Parts: sequence; C-alpha cells; structure tokens
Amino acid sequence: MIVDVNAYLGHFAFRRLRHNTAASLLALMDSRKIDKAVVSSAGAITYRNAQAGNEEVAEEVRGHCDRLIPFAVINPFYAGWQDDLKICQEEFGMAGLRLYPKWHNYQLSSPCCQELVDAATEQGMVISIPIRVEDNRERSWLLNVPDVPLEEIIELVKAHPKARFILLNGIDYTRCPLGRKNNGLPSNYAIELSRLSAVLANELGQLITNLGAERVMFGTGMPFNYPDPALVKLEVLDASEPEKEKIRSQNATTWLQL
Amino acid sequence: MSILQRISSSSESQPRVSRRTLLKGSAALAMGAAALPSTRGAAVEKPASGTPSSTFRKGKVIDCHAHLSHRSRATWEADDRKLIEAADKLGIDQLCCSTLTPRWPATLDGFRECNQWTADGMRRFPGRVLGYCYVNPGYGREALEEVRRYVGGRGFIGIKLYNEYTCTEPVVFPIVELAIELGVPILHHASHSHYFVEDQPRLTDGGHLAELARRYPEAMLICAHISGGGDWEWTVKAARHAPNVFLDTSGSVTDDGSVDMAVAVVGVDRVVFGCDSSMTAGVGKIRGANLSAQDKEKILGENMMKLLRRRKP
Repeated sequence: MIVDVNAYLGHFAFRRLRHNTAASLLALMDSRKIDKAVVSSAGAITYRNAQAGNEEVAEEVRGHCDRLIPFAVINPFYAGWQDDLKICQEEFGMAGLRLYPKWHNYQLSSPCCQELVDAATEQGMVISIPIRVEDNRERSWLLNVPDVPLEEIIELVKAHPKARFILLNGIDYTRCPLGRKNNGLPSNYAIELSRLSAVLANELGQLITNLGAERVMFGTGMPFNYPDPALVKLEVLDASEPEKEKIRSQNATTWLQL
Repeated sequence: MSILQRISSSSESQPRVSRRTLLKGSAALAMGAAALPSTRGAAVEKPASGTPSSTFRKGKVIDCHAHLSHRSRATWEADDRKLIEAADKLGIDQLCCSTLTPRWPATLDGFRECNQWTADGMRRFPGRVLGYCYVNPGYGREALEEVRRYVGGRGFIGIKLYNEYTCTEPVVFPIVELAIELGVPILHHASHSHYFVEDQPRLTDGGHLAELARRYPEAMLICAHISGGGDWEWTVKAARHAPNVFLDTSGSVTDDGSVDMAVAVVGVDRVVFGCDSSMTAGVGKIRGANLSAQDKEKILGENMMKLLRRRKP
C-alpha cells in the first residue's frame, strides 16, 4: 500500500493545476497505484477566508473518504478560526491541519498559533507544515513568500512536545538539528520525502540513518508536482524493504490511524 | 511485448523493474519490493572506436545537462563516481558534462582547468561522460582557442555557456559562429524570474535565446533547465517561434505539466532530457509526463543524439 501525505485539491492562484478534483486525483492515484492521499485545499493557501477552501474540500471528498483523507487549512489570525477548526474536525471529519505561516503572514511562535497547535493536539489532529508551496524563482510578480525557515520549525516542535508534525516540501534537514541524530528534539515530527535526494547527497538515506525510517513519510505534492519523482526516489533508495514499507505507508497509517 | 507495454500491463503479476523501466514505467513502485540491478545492464554500449559519433546509437538515454565536480571539493572523485552510480540506477546511459568554476565570472585559468578535468572525466568514465567545453566568452581569442582545442581536437560534444554574459551580447557571437562551424550545440544557462536576479545580472532567458536563434538560425541552442529556471511557462512560450532553440527538462522543480507543456508548445522534437544533478526529479518528470512511449524515447535520447550527429568532420 502507498499513502501520500502531501496532496491537494482545488485551484492554486498562480498556476493551473491538472488532476485537482477528487475524481481526477483518484484517477492519477490509480495510475500510480497510490492507495490513499492526505488532501487539503490549494485555494485556501491564498483565500483570505481559508474555511471556504475547507468547505470545498469537504464537498469534494464526500464519498471518497476511504481514499482521500482531508486536512484543514486554518489561519489562526483570521476571525472565527476556533469555529472553523471545530467544524472541520467534527463535521468534515478532517484528521489534521496544514499551516501556511508565511502565506498567511503570521509567526509560528505567535500566541494565536500556539493556541491553534494546542487545540488541534488536544483533538488528536496531526499538524502538517509545507515548508514551501512552489519554488521561489517561479513566483508571481505580485508577491514574494519565503520558505518557512527550519529554525522556526525547531522552536515549534520544541514548544509542543505532545503535538505531532509532518514537515512537507522541505530539504536540507540534515544541515540543521531536525535531521541530525541525537538532536535533543522531541520525536514528534516526521519528514515527507518529495524534495529529498535519494541519490548523490542522498538526504533521504541520511535521515533514515539519523532519525530512523519511522520518521520519514511518502509524499508527492500532487497535483502541484508530478507524482513520479517521489515514486522513483523510493525505487532507487538504498534501504531495506521493511524500511521502505514504513515510509511507503506504515508510518502514515499509524499516525493517521487509517 | 515491449518493456513499456509490460509495465503498463495489469495482467503482469510480478513486473520486474529494470534500469529502463525506471525511466519509462509508471507504476513499477506499486509492486513494492522490486529489486534493482546493482550494476549497469548490457544495454549500455561501450565506445567502439573512441570517436564520439560511434557512441551515439538509437535507444540511448542521454542526460543533456550534467556536471562533474570541481576539484576544489575534497570529495570530487567520490562525487563523480556517485554521479555515474546514480546514472546506473536510473538507467541513464550517457551524461553530457561540463565542469564549472565555483565562482563567476570564470577566469581564463579557471575554465581551462575545468575543461582539463572534464577531459579527464571522459577518460575515467569512457562512453558514459561526454564533454562540454566551458568558456567565458569575454576572453575572446583565448575562449575560441579553448573551444577549438577541446571540441575540435579532443572530442567534446558541445559548448557550455554560463552567466558571464547575456547570450545576445555581441561578445558571445564568435562563440556561436564557431559552434556553427563545428556543428555542435551550445547548452546555455538560462532562467526567467519576474524579479531582478541580483547575483546574476547578465542572466540569459528563453527570450534571449530565441533572439539569438533568429540571428543564427543554423545554431543549435539548448535552453537549460526549464524546471529550475524560474517561470517555466514563460520560458516555454518564449521559445515557441525559435525552431533552433531546444528545451532542456532538467532542474529540481517537478511541477506537474511542465514537460507536457513544453512538448505541446514547441513540439516533441525540441525537448531534451536533462537532470542537472537533480536525478530523480529529472527522471520522474519524464516518466510522469502524459506522452507516448515514442515521444519519451525522443526526449530521453533521440533528440539529443540528432543534435550530436550534426557535428561536422
């Protein structure tokens, strides 16, 4: 089984996405033998009211909840986020969050964000953070959104040892404590592989060595990305089959209670 | 039944992943425990006579954009070996390599030693590494002599230009004219972002290359890394009406649709496969593109091979 912890539905403001409806994403998943995918709203990245994107996703995944696992995009600086979180969890059955601190212009260390993380953790929700949405060099002339600095992630995971974080679309974890052995950080975060190298520098292999295969998860970033590069990484990765199986599905299955 | 057909066949209960299926298959991973060969397969042809053209045969997978490590890096030798090992794993037969200076603009001594190292790489990895001659066009006569020395005399397959000058500056023209005379392609570093790239003030983009192509319709100009050169949709559209500009798919960005759009806009015959050290990204994008097997064969090697065969004796 393959579980993708990094997928999306809906429209993105700056580029047309293919495979961005439930039906077309499922067809793409079928063609790549991907069984389940965690999805959130691409539109909510730029909507002022992110809850509108969550509503779109909830509508879209209806009838497909066996394969599409919806996550909520919550902006803790937007009015009513507590209500939105409650609706997303209780009515929409969303098992986790995606946070966009740079796109939504807040600090992970801000009290509002801390409150959101604590509330989600209390409800057993997993919190995923895309380090980037797209490569900064291809950005629109309208805006310049930086990647989330890994130093800010370090402070976040330290501040919330009981929370569970999945870090998406990141790279260079081994250049900071997050990807190093015996780093003194809580083991409350997992790293998704879509941008990690599996040959040459082989950061993926280094992370398995340093953190253990149980801390790495499969993800593609589809439909922003072709799913195939992530699949190829697992194919060429120099790791044992049990380790690959953890990455491919077991870790996500455990974290998300699938 | 071809490898592609076997991979896409649902009736195949235990498809075997080979080097080539990594590139061409779409669902091999789904089978989970597929084993990879630890060494290169017999499909990689050894050079027969030492002449570059003898190594270009149909069906090869050619990475049009690769680099050997600069020897100021302590790990250069191991890094070069890792590149070949990665190519082995991914089914890439040949890598068109340059060695770049760590700082720009490149000095005369700087690019000269890089080309010596590229030549050495061709000796260390015979038949696998094909050399681009890297020059800074600002060195005028010396740059032209360097190209003649390595492309004319030592079997390099093309010229690599970086960001020392925008390709439309007249200082670049003699290099282009020499490339035409020798019948070899120029791989030109390129990027288009919607902001000024401060550390690369003379950056070339797809529009500049299209302008150069109109001035020199006989030149073979490869626009580097559409998937690592900023707004790839802009680049693809800028190159549309320049039939002698070829788009290199390399780069770390794996945006869905990028290869498909390149093929749709400029035509499959003008798209060439590359990695630029982003190996799984490079391979995965081609595998993921919604193209026929025949079109993928063209991108993976046939198109580049056509360019290399235009070399003049």
